[in-house]
Amino acid sequence: MAARNHDQWMATPPLQKGEWIDSRVYTDYQIFEEENEKIFKNAWVPVCHESELSKPYDFRTTSIAREPIIVCRGPDNQVRAFLNVCPHRGMMIERRPSGSFFEGQPSGNPKRMTCMFHGWQFDMKGSCVYVSREKEGYQDRLCKDDVGLRRLRCEVKFGGFVWVNLNDKAPDLESWAGKPFECLRKSLEAEPLEVFHYHKAIVDTNYKLWHDTNCEFYHDFMHYHNRVTGFNDAYFARKNEAFDNGHIVVGTFEVNYDKYEGFESRASLSFPHLPPNQWYMIDLFPGINFNLRGSALRCDVVTPLGPNKTMIEFRGLGLKSDSKEDRMTRINHHNSIWGPFGRNLHEDLIGVQGQGNTMMPGTEPRRVLHGRQENQTIHDENGMRHYYDEWGKWLNRLPSSPDKPYAAASAVTAAE
Amino acid sequence: MSTCETVRDAIYQATALLDDQKWNDWLSMCDESFQYSITSWSPEINYNMTYLAASKKDMHHLVDLLPKHNTDHSPLHRHTSVYSVTPSDDGKTAKAVSSVLIFQNMLDGTNSHIDAGESRLFLIGRYIDTLQVEDGKATFLSRELKLDNRRLDKGSHWPL
Repeated sequence: MAARNHDQWMATPPLQKGEWIDSRVYTDYQIFEEENEKIFKNAWVPVCHESELSKPYDFRTTSIAREPIIVCRGPDNQVRAFLNVCPHRGMMIERRPSGSFFEGQPSGNPKRMTCMFHGWQFDMKGSCVYVSREKEGYQDRLCKDDVGLRRLRCEVKFGGFVWVNLNDKAPDLESWAGKPFECLRKSLEAEPLEVFHYHKAIVDTNYKLWHDTNCEFYHDFMHYHNRVTGFNDAYFARKNEAFDNGHIVVGTFEVNYDKYEGFESRASLSFPHLPPNQWYMIDLFPGINFNLRGSALRCDVVTPLGPNKTMIEFRGLGLKSDSKEDRMTRINHHNSIWGPFGRNLHEDLIGVQGQGNTMMPGTEPRRVLHGRQENQTIHDENGMRHYYDEWGKWLNRLPSSPDKPYAAASAVTAAE
Repeated sequence: MSTCETVRDAIYQATALLDDQKWNDWLSMCDESFQYSITSWSPEINYNMTYLAASKKDMHHLVDLLPKHNTDHSPLHRHTSVYSVTPSDDGKTAKAVSSVLIFQNMLDGTNSHIDAGESRLFLIGRYIDTLQVEDGKATFLSRELKLDNRRLDKGSHWPL
């Protein structure tokens, strides 16, 4: 067919239900707010890695769904998470991205989290241990026990990542993501890992478009590196496996890194229990990606900032026991394609930015196709279909028609 | 011309060649043992990071393969100020520290209809160079671009 007129452009594509979605899922402000409330405030998010707070009293700050969070390591070596909010007048307690409470601060004592505003102090378990002029102001009406910090669900798991969930009643992390991690559990938990790379990008696009790109490999055609190091029968046989809760795992194959001029095999530095040059990917709902290419692990975490604005944090990890030489080799392997100056990541960012341009609030709703069917192998788009089916359940919206409830559509389907 | 002046001239000449995307001409100013790196200190992970480390041969591979990669087409413009040049005792080499601001003159932009023609601050950092000075000519032995940025959006496939 030649170029289409408006009616033809807007017509339902000749695909099955679930094989396309409506672009309003990427552009609608109300949907973005609902995603924060219904998804991000109830999902497990790996906010940092334990190596980022390696010593007692070390801390990291972060946020989920606009809620500021502080993660700290106590003198008992336990990692705990709290809302980074003073219970007095709502001041953010710690403003730096990281540091240590071991030393005192201008408003407070060593080994305490101190709100600089009025000097209230908290220990590493979140208990309030000092209220300035407490008796004079509150007499016996309010005491320190009444004003502890808000503790958050926090687990260190799956290779030492620090996971936080804002919902006290959410299922435990193992039930949430244990099954997809089975393929890499032995490799990630054989010995401690360490983060060697961090950077962030803020892109004018919807967070799901980044996750979609991590879930589909058909965009190999954008990456010269993938085409020369990957395309063979074993590559096209890689499976996209769907798991409960909207997660997927992309199965492995042996990458020919040395087919790209100047690059080298990664076989000598494979992660523990991982055969040479293998490549696994785990995509967790709603926007988290773990990507192990032989010698280096990458983790992406999205923070939606608006329907058309997303922060993506990128981490690279090796083994804590690495020699200096091995660590540098892992870093080079990581950077070659995933670094900010590497071959692939930059292209991925251009891709989702281009989508963000065509799908921003106020643009005409249109179909986005997820209809490739290749027996759930690498260029099948079943990963995105599985994701949006889960998304529909969480928001009770039909991805192909987001003003209609998911539940009603499911009931109709069941009746059919 | 003094060693310091020779080194300064070389750094400014390299800046102009990089701005003009004359990658091979820039590399011709580098010794065969040349080592290039882009680094940044991350307070987030408490780690001195290396974002790119490459030999002269690696850099040749990188620039030769650029046409096969998709990239943002917005040109980069470097503003370099040489802060210090410290010759070695024997006068054969010198270390130089320069401030560098890299601007992106939008061509693609986010939406070229709107952004093209606008310039934005892209990166800030320092060049830490080591040069060999021989017969009045300076040759780069190493360059470390130490970035302050840890936010790095699209637009960074090229040597900086």
